[in-house]
Amino acid sequence: MTSTTPTLVAAAAALNASKIYGKDDSEVRALDDVTVDFAEGQFTAIMGPSGSGKSTLMHCLAGLDTLTSGKVFVDGTDLSGLSDRELTVLRREQVGFIFQAYNLIPTLTALENITLPLDLGGVDVDQAWLNDVVHAVKLESRLTHRPSELSGGQQQRVAVARALASRPKIIFADEPTGNLDSRSGAEILAFMRHAVSDLGQTIVMVTHDPVAAAYADRVVFLADGKVVDEITSPTSEQVLDRMKKLGS
Amino acid sequence: MSSPVIRLTLRGVLARKFRIILTVFAIVSGVAFVSGAFMLTDSVKTAINSLFEELRGDIALEVRTPIAFGDEATAQRDPVPAALVSSIAAVPGVSSVEVNIIRESTIVKPDGKPLKTSGPAFGISWLGQNGLDGRTMLEGREARGPGEVAIDKASAERADYVLGDTVTIVGPTGKGEFTLVGLTGTGDTSGGGGASVCAFDPATANTFLGAKGLADSIYVGLESGASQATVQKAIATVITTKYEVIPGEQSAKETAGAINDIIDIFGKLLLGFAAISLFVSAFLIFNTFAIIISQRLRELALLRAIGASSRQIRLMILGEALIIGIIATAFGILGGVGVSKGITALFNATGAAFPSATITISTRTILASLFVGIGVTVTAAMVPALRASKIPPVAAMRPEIGFTALQRNKRLLAGVITLLAGITLLCVGLFVQPGGTIGILGASGLGAILLFLGVASLSTSFAAPMSAAISRVLPFPLRPMTRSVAGRLASRNAQRTPRRTATTASALMIGLAMVSTVAVIAASVQKSFRDRLQGSVTADYFVTSDGFQGLPPAFGEKLAALPELGDVSPFRISTAQINGESKQIGAVNVEMGNIVNIKLTSGSFAALGNGQILVHRDPARDLALSVGSSVAVTWQNGTTTPLTVGGIYDDSSIAGNWLVSLDVLSKASTAPPVDFFIGAIIADGVDIETARLAVNKVADEFPSALVQDQAEFQKSQEDQLNQLLFIVYCLLVFAIGIAVLGIANTMALSVYERTREFGLLRAVGMSKRHLKRSVRWEAIIVSVFGATLGIAVGVPLGIAVSIALPESFVNGISIPFNTIVVVLLASIVVGIIAAIGPARRAAKLNVLEAISAI
Ligand SMILES: Nc1ncnc2c1ncn2[C@@H]1O[C@H](COP(=O)(O)OP(=O)(O)OP(=O)(O)O)[C@@H](O)[C@H]1O
Ligand SMILES: [Mg+2]
Repeated sequence: MTSTTPTLVAAAAALNASKIYGKDDSEVRALDDVTVDFAEGQFTAIMGPSGSGKSTLMHCLAGLDTLTSGKVFVDGTDLSGLSDRELTVLRREQVGFIFQAYNLIPTLTALENITLPLDLGGVDVDQAWLNDVVHAVKLESRLTHRPSELSGGQQQRVAVARALASRPKIIFADEPTGNLDSRSGAEILAFMRHAVSDLGQTIVMVTHDPVAAAYADRVVFLADGKVVDEITSPTSEQVLDRMKKLGS
Repeated sequence: MSSPVIRLTLRGVLARKFRIILTVFAIVSGVAFVSGAFMLTDSVKTAINSLFEELRGDIALEVRTPIAFGDEATAQRDPVPAALVSSIAAVPGVSSVEVNIIRESTIVKPDGKPLKTSGPAFGISWLGQNGLDGRTMLEGREARGPGEVAIDKASAERADYVLGDTVTIVGPTGKGEFTLVGLTGTGDTSGGGGASVCAFDPATANTFLGAKGLADSIYVGLESGASQATVQKAIATVITTKYEVIPGEQSAKETAGAINDIIDIFGKLLLGFAAISLFVSAFLIFNTFAIIISQRLRELALLRAIGASSRQIRLMILGEALIIGIIATAFGILGGVGVSKGITALFNATGAAFPSATITISTRTILASLFVGIGVTVTAAMVPALRASKIPPVAAMRPEIGFTALQRNKRLLAGVITLLAGITLLCVGLFVQPGGTIGILGASGLGAILLFLGVASLSTSFAAPMSAAISRVLPFPLRPMTRSVAGRLASRNAQRTPRRTATTASALMIGLAMVSTVAVIAASVQKSFRDRLQGSVTADYFVTSDGFQGLPPAFGEKLAALPELGDVSPFRISTAQINGESKQIGAVNVEMGNIVNIKLTSGSFAALGNGQILVHRDPARDLALSVGSSVAVTWQNGTTTPLTVGGIYDDSSIAGNWLVSLDVLSKASTAPPVDFFIGAIIADGVDIETARLAVNKVADEFPSALVQDQAEFQKSQEDQLNQLLFIVYCLLVFAIGIAVLGIANTMALSVYERTREFGLLRAVGMSKRHLKRSVRWEAIIVSVFGATLGIAVGVPLGIAVSIALPESFVNGISIPFNTIVVVLLASIVVGIIAAIGPARRAAKLNVLEAISAI
């Protein structure tokens, strides 16, 4: 039931994407002929066992890393044809990131971190939108603090706000709640859900947590570098069930 | 809205301010020497110029003998007949005319020892306050007749003389006793700018100073309202064209110029010093940035991931360098004031009496300092900045990916090419010697820099195996360090990041390469010098002057008259032009042939007696001269003497390149003669003690004379050379000091970088002591690595330079093994010192915080 003909316009897509590390004997196929797309306005979770290629897929989709063969598209643009400069602009304007940790520049305040992509591009900040975002992640009182003065959950919220601030085409999040307790994690996930449902954002999130995956519209399963399954409108039980099957 | 790049840059500097301080310090010292050199020369020159302008007083015009060529300021001029005074005085507009006589005169202290001065010791003719020159009367009155003298107040105080005392003074004609009737000053100082001045009335000056009715020049004062130019023209028509009349300002400027030249030499020395310390600093800055950047890898990659362009990253790093450069330059200029003041104080402490100068900071000083400080910092940060901009964005999530570093092979190739280019340029500079001094220095200097860079870049490739080897050997002959956990850890760490090990070692490598280069050259020069002196000095006695002005001829004449001595000859130096180039010509008696062995290869020393010239083989080769060829020698007064070559000789160490007889010189030039040294041999049948007593008796009358026998002479010559070498070593030790800073800085940074790792080690049970030891061991490994590389580069470099030096200077290679061993041992100490701070820091880490550190 893989959707090769999307009903919505794809915000990002991979076509026969392969990524091979090492040579000959020590060759690792981190991605093995992956074809997948992510519809605009959808919240997609990517799941799979450790080492299955989830992070690799995301890095390649986001223009952080390059494929060995195949193509990736963001908003219809083929990334393989882009120069470093064009990739930089793409990351700045079309893509947002949330990592598991080390999301923030330690020398900048929370607010400066949030507006950094805009500042780097020399784009004026849309103050109303920024207020909305900051309000939504409940960071008003923490804007002048440095990352070292924020809790892990607050730091992640700053990272989410930064990803949203430039209104990118698509946001990639690699285990954004991996380091958080369940309550802080739930807050972040709820907010990401809100960003998709109410603000029309597109989000792709890697996670190991079936509960987190249940916030998504769709779950894509990877194993050994291949897309092996997917569920739409998942519940955590369904996800856990599939995971168990894959793990065995 | 401020640009994010500027904001990130500023924050980056602030966040790392303590780590940056050491870096700043390194540049500060370089900039301080650059700005100090300029400030010193500027302010001392200004002070000296105004001193001479003050001394000029009312001298509007000066009449003197022109010179045909050469340095106006240090010319040896033929004297002017004092009789010209009356005809000049008759020129309308002239108010007064004075003779100017300046000769050597040494004040003898009450204890019979000569008063040492840092400048010349003068005797002059002086009319007192009413005279033309600007000397002032501070106490008493001017000397008015035979047996009276006025001396400058500073010298009188130093010699402990007061008005009314009888002062013994030794002048060109011998010893004399005078009553001290006045104390003089110059401008607002009580001294003579380092010189001692004995002022006599004109008649006494004429006899006691041996002027024989001649004056060095004639001072002319003008009636008020008279035009300087008109009177100058009028005087020019009165005196013959044998003499010239010039404005007083010009004369003052020329005299000041001679001293300015000496100041400039100091300035250049300081600049050379600055260049060395800046070069080492550049490596230090490079290190610091390289390491800071690898520490910030994740941060920089994150910036790239969220959309910073590689240009923005590059600008950010260069911006940090710019800030550091500006701060360092500001401190450096302050330091320059210190350097300049310090050096002035140092010289004044040894009696130089530099005129008290307010420090002049000219725009040029500021610009040069900014250019050097900022230029060096930003240039050194260029490569790290480029590397930083190439960090792939994925590294934000996979820091282990790190830099897309230059491929190993590519780096090897680049290193080898740089190294070869360096060696080639160096060899071209040293041996082909294109374009004179500038060409030699330029090519070999650039070659040396490339050579160092090449070795530094290649050293990355063998840092790991060499560290392994060093840690297996050290501390020979005790238990090798690899037998302890701390030692093994240190060794692994040094091997694990060969790039960091190599960059850390590079600063020390440069320092030690320079030291060992100089050590080899110095040892070779010393050896050659000693060998030559031994072969060439056959004199029993050498008399030199311990002052600036040489010996009065009367001394040599009195020695020659001693029956206890056999052959005696003075050595006089004069400037002349040969083949259009200015040369130093030595003038001696024929007896000199028995006193100094110049190793004649053709002709004979006796030819000197026939008015012929002896030539060293180098100029003889260059001008294709052989015995019987003729050479035209043009003296400074314009006289040309055609001479025949009477001999070619090999050894120029004492005699210089050209030798004529005293007769030839005195026929051509009437400039007051001064002997550079006098050589003498004991007469047959006279024993050493008797001869020495006789010589000493004469020498007693000439307190500035230094009588030495052969061994003493050799030793004093070697001492002089050693003093010179000592200064050079001091400069290099300073460069090594900067290198130590470099190692300390890098070790501190790398401890910081490994906070987490150290925390882990402590958590699993490593003691503080072990941890400290491990850091220390690592610093020692790195130091020994740097030192070994430095010596490996420096010794061959020293040999190459020694070979390239003219044979008259170095004729054999000597490698100072002792020095090299000491230097290697010292590098271990350097390592230990450099590791003190970082090791303490590592041990102080809080285990929990360290583990949770980012
Ligand atoms: N730089 C690399 N060099 C070699 N192999 C790599 C590299 N990066 C990733 N791999 C390999 O590629 C495969 C996929 O890695 P990836 O990080 O995408 O897995 P993942 O699904 O994100 O795992 P996890 O859930 O543990 O984060 C793994 O087998 C990994 O070992
Ligand atoms: Mg992963």
